[in-house]
Amino acid sequence: MPATRLRSLQALGIFCGFAAGAWLGGAEAPIKLVNPDISPITVSLIMVFGVFLARWSVPALIRGTSHVRNDVRQAPHLIVWAVLAGCMWAVANTLTIYAIRNVGLSIAFPLWNTNSLLGIFWGFLLFNELHYAGWKRWLGVLGGAVCMFSGATLLAIASAHQAAPGKAAWGIFAALGAGILWGTMYIPYRKAYLTGMNPLSFITFFTVGELATMTVLAVAYRGATPLWHELMGAKSVMFWLMLGGFVWVLGDLFQQYATKYVGISRGIPLSNTNQLWGLLWGILVFHELRGGSQAVYMQVAGGSLLMALGALAIALSSATAREHSSWQDAADREGQRYGVEGEYVRAGMEGRAYGTGSTRRTILDWLLILATTSLFAVLAAMARLPLMDIALGWAAALTVAMLALLAVCGIAIWRTTRFR
Amino acid sequence: MALSKADGSRNLFHAIATDIHFWIPFAVLVGGLVLLDKLR
Repeated sequence: MPATRLRSLQALGIFCGFAAGAWLGGAEAPIKLVNPDISPITVSLIMVFGVFLARWSVPALIRGTSHVRNDVRQAPHLIVWAVLAGCMWAVANTLTIYAIRNVGLSIAFPLWNTNSLLGIFWGFLLFNELHYAGWKRWLGVLGGAVCMFSGATLLAIASAHQAAPGKAAWGIFAALGAGILWGTMYIPYRKAYLTGMNPLSFITFFTVGELATMTVLAVAYRGATPLWHELMGAKSVMFWLMLGGFVWVLGDLFQQYATKYVGISRGIPLSNTNQLWGLLWGILVFHELRGGSQAVYMQVAGGSLLMALGALAIALSSATAREHSSWQDAADREGQRYGVEGEYVRAGMEGRAYGTGSTRRTILDWLLILATTSLFAVLAAMARLPLMDIALGWAAALTVAMLALLAVCGIAIWRTTRFR
Repeated sequence: MALSKADGSRNLFHAIATDIHFWIPFAVLVGGLVLLDKLR
């Protein structure tokens, strides 16, 4: 791959990592609007409905679903990997709801964000990431991740008073469990992208795993009839939860592109800047930490600064040509194991077109987009804002900032890879 | 000679089943389900 192309893809991946942070962090906000009487399993199930709709309608809107068929013809084994990753996501997401309920968002966030350290470990061990990277890049990535973890811990200490007494231990287990699940879920992600799959194809199968797992969990844990009654009783909050799922998917899509172009060792820590965005939503919109001492605010400022510095260190440690060639060795290994055509693998890694298969939108794509839009419109009409002290001005400002990132990063992906 | 569809599927599942990369996430998923069962 020409050096200029490698640099463009690395810059794109890093930009996607930051955009992912904004959208993944923003996705946690709608959960705050939900009545705590609703079971976490039901909350998760409704979110996953929103996620499912987004994971089919967004690819349909961007490129059309015909490209999914083209990808599956080349690498059918990735269906299994995507479904497995989806199952992991669903379990992790449910655990985070228990964690938020028991120890609060501010503690739960840094605990499950330990997934980035696990991601670096798996990236190095299984996919040749950081091989021949040199000590400076090792220092940048590992030092940056440790710096981010320290900042996250400081933020957790600052907001420790939010924990519900007596439930803290289970909340911590739930958050750590989610971190391990998410950290390991990046193995299938990396597997898919080393073999050349398009993120827009991967997520369509991924979501089959998450919806199936969530439905089985919800029916098994709640019982079909009580679950149905709970779903019917949750009509007024269904919009917020499904919106949370939709927002999460946009963040996850950026995370997938970051993983594809800079690997899991860099992409995941960068997308974990979502904690800063979650904190901004918590403090500015939901008035968390209100009335805290000066020491608490100092801890929040210090923790945020550490996280930002860590992210900067990782962003400045992009892969060299030599490291990238060791990624290609891992890609060749995958291609040989699963019998994937070499040119397809290389085209995928370089973000360029492969073959001449049709990628035009079909009537099915437009039906998907129309059905999803209509459903969200109906749910929005039924939705109510709960009686909470919410700063709507700040909510609007953060939403505008997220939309600006969405537009700029979306254009960058289009210009560089045409969403490949 | 081209492989039949059944042979292709068999090879595919054999490749996955003998890939350690599959069993690591699978084991973690089972662990997550056990934890979730304790929490509910």
